[in-house]
Amino acid sequence: MSEAIAKTEEIVKKGKALGADEVIARTTFGQYRQTRFSNNQIDITVAWNDYVTDVALSWRKRFVATQIRNFQNIDENMKRLFEIAKVSKENPTYGGVARGKLRYQKSKADEAVGGLENPAECVFEAIEAARREAGPETDAGGILLTRLEDVYLVSSEGPIGEDHRSAVELSIRASSQREASGHGVECSSTLKGFDPARAGRKAGEIARLAKNPEAGVEGRYDVVFDPLFAGSLLAMWGSMTSAYTVMVQLSIFVNKLGRKVASDIVTLRDVPASYSVGNRVFDDEGVPVKENVLIGNGVLKTYLHNTSTAKIYKTETTGNAGLVAPTPWSLEMDPGDMSRDEMFHDVRRGLYLTNTWYTRFQNYATGDFSTIPRDGIFLIEKGEVKRSWKDIRLSDNALKMLNNIAGISKDRQHVHWWVEADPPSLSPYILMKDVQMTSPHT
Amino acid sequence: MDKDIADFALEYSSSKEVEYAEVRAHREDRTELVMKNGALDAYVSMVDRGFCVRILAGGGIGFASTNKWTREEAKAIVDIAYKFARMAKRRDKITFAEEKGAKANWKVEEKEKAGDVAPETRIKTLMEIDKELTSQGVNVAARMFTFEVSLTERYFSNTEGSVISSYVPRIGAHGFITVIEDGKPEQAYKQFGYAGGWEALQEWKITEQMISEARVLQRVIKEARAVKPGRMDVVCGPNVAGIAAHESCGHPMEADRILGREMSQAGRSFIFPGGPYWLGTRIGSPVVTILDDPTVENSYGYYEYDDEGIRARPRYLYKNGVINEFLHNRETAARLGTRSNGASRAVDYDREAIVRMANTFVQPGDMTEEEILEDVKQGIYMRSFTEWNIDDKRFNQRYVGREAYWIENGELKHSVARPVIETTTQVFWTAVDAVSKRVEYSAATCGKGDPMQGVPVYTGGPMIRLRGVYMR
Repeated sequence: MSEAIAKTEEIVKKGKALGADEVIARTTFGQYRQTRFSNNQIDITVAWNDYVTDVALSWRKRFVATQIRNFQNIDENMKRLFEIAKVSKENPTYGGVARGKLRYQKSKADEAVGGLENPAECVFEAIEAARREAGPETDAGGILLTRLEDVYLVSSEGPIGEDHRSAVELSIRASSQREASGHGVECSSTLKGFDPARAGRKAGEIARLAKNPEAGVEGRYDVVFDPLFAGSLLAMWGSMTSAYTVMVQLSIFVNKLGRKVASDIVTLRDVPASYSVGNRVFDDEGVPVKENVLIGNGVLKTYLHNTSTAKIYKTETTGNAGLVAPTPWSLEMDPGDMSRDEMFHDVRRGLYLTNTWYTRFQNYATGDFSTIPRDGIFLIEKGEVKRSWKDIRLSDNALKMLNNIAGISKDRQHVHWWVEADPPSLSPYILMKDVQMTSPHT
Repeated sequence: MDKDIADFALEYSSSKEVEYAEVRAHREDRTELVMKNGALDAYVSMVDRGFCVRILAGGGIGFASTNKWTREEAKAIVDIAYKFARMAKRRDKITFAEEKGAKANWKVEEKEKAGDVAPETRIKTLMEIDKELTSQGVNVAARMFTFEVSLTERYFSNTEGSVISSYVPRIGAHGFITVIEDGKPEQAYKQFGYAGGWEALQEWKITEQMISEARVLQRVIKEARAVKPGRMDVVCGPNVAGIAAHESCGHPMEADRILGREMSQAGRSFIFPGGPYWLGTRIGSPVVTILDDPTVENSYGYYEYDDEGIRARPRYLYKNGVINEFLHNRETAARLGTRSNGASRAVDYDREAIVRMANTFVQPGDMTEEEILEDVKQGIYMRSFTEWNIDDKRFNQRYVGREAYWIENGELKHSVARPVIETTTQVFWTAVDAVSKRVEYSAATCGKGDPMQGVPVYTGGPMIRLRGVYMR
């Protein structure tokens, strides 16, 4: 048994000795490094080390949580936590945590990620790739993030395990002119195959095509979404499958289990696989994670659950705890049968949207929302990019959009950036019919 | 927190070839309650302590943090930060605008100490809000409330002699409700924030406010009529004026955006060197003055010194309709040949301080709210908003009304269903012809940075009137 597991177990034992019904402790030793750059130069490189144990405890259906740093003041922290539990209020919907000796896939972090000797080289490789595509005047900015986490989980109810996670992400936005930009990302759980130049080339290529944009025109369009934009859409739809969001009506999927919610060609899964920057082997209760089909051929198959929400819905946990709210780990849309070129060919007059941000809802239950395309926005006519546009907004309905998906590409890309395409996903190009675009009135 | 370790980290930093170094230590005692549909899901209570060093060396910046309070760890993070600073190899060397060292010890007073309020009282307060809300004859089908108390000590010192200690208690709450009537859902979100003690609860009147929101949603479902698209006068309540001030004045006036440092995440600004908008350019009507002021007492965004040790003061961003003063930290101020105005904030010890707003609002005018409304023949009063967003150069924005009414000959008539303003920053602020004298603030959490740093702010302000804007 590792020392970290032993100390984590000590916390659990303290909690039980105090009288807690259930105790879960999860220790994370995290090592994070991030280089931020803009104007083709490095602005800052930051390192943060975290030594933290998240502790959750239940007593007579009262659920309380705390964090213990670097195994300090364990007795004091646990006593305080238990005292809070004793004066807390019973939650009738609390359904306990997972029980039993559970087995996990063996996880292995790529230690080379933490040893990335010169992150600046990766950054400059991406910048140069962007400049080769979009020209020497190109101005690029972004981040390179490396993450190494050793996670040790012990539950009084049986689960005990280790998870060693690694991730490396590069996000680059390149501007060929003031209002002509492109964005590319490169995400991986290992350094093997990690290619910063690929993200730079993508950003540069879009930035080159985006030159001299004109103000966009309002209307309904068929739209081809780039995988980066699709990543934001998958995150939006996927997060709404959490049972918690359903219970508080932060979801378009309320009362829709087993019903058709999307076009027949849509299958959406949560797959915390080893390639993903969202990889893991157990959830926050110590339940082994697994692949879950959220939408299968257009039909809503399941909500995402922890033990408590599963009991409310009379089903099994899906391995997506979140102790309070279940959450997706890493989304995948199943590949379709089209190539990107075939999608463009199918569009007589439409748009190719490469990225978006600032997605906000009028009403989560009905799905009315808007989001603002950024970076390359292209008018397609007769299958070809005709013009670069700017200053338009996608103002539509999240449920209607799912039903209007008309094509999915064979190729997919692993994408994650900032808070806009989060959780990470394996996203295809998506062809969608009849999307409402609006523009500002001056 | 162990200030000796922090001092040791600064001393050790000074032994290296640095242009500048600072240490910032935090101790945060935080509790958070989460309640869903009347059930207390979780009571979270924690104490976090850690410190960071930021080093400017060779024209590059390195930053490192830890929550392990040992001299060995302090040395290790200084070594990392120094190595990272040297690694940058910048063509344009970073410098910081000159400042004299400051010594200060400041705190926000609490009339009723939040830390002394028993957990039972906190829970009871939240449960009673839900109980009252659900006994009003309105079908509030889903409710989610969170409640946070954060007691933060900070200790800052730098190689220029600054030594600043502070203590800020903050209280925050969020409510998200769904009202369903006749099978139709409408939703409202409300945030509350205060720097100070438990007396915040008396000022907020959360229960009354959430009941009022529920009734508004019921009215919208049952009575609201669609707006006939076209140009008309629009009166924006403090909630809407505040979000517009935050999004289309505060954000584009952040100098780090203007210089491109946030370009790949939160974006840039329509203001940039050599562009059509700069200091002195008209962006709104002469009645529009928007300021960002960290010194508003008990405000959610209150501070006396920023996280670079610079004394806080009001910043007049748009003054009489003209672009007047950017928000700066020492790095951006040096690049634009000016002084920092104390806008550098970090949400925690493990995040770098970046340029942020504090409390951004339209300066009050001299009219009453009745005077503003009575001069509208036909138009819309948008009292609060639901969906909103703005592009990443902060020029094209959209606000959708949640509580809104049709105005006819100065009188409020029927409720209006989700009216939409979708326009540009210049059109919005140029259309303003009247500003009320009464100010009402709204709490918000402003997001920026990578990793994301959500900082507490106030928006809000007075009521404003816009002439002839397009609505749909």
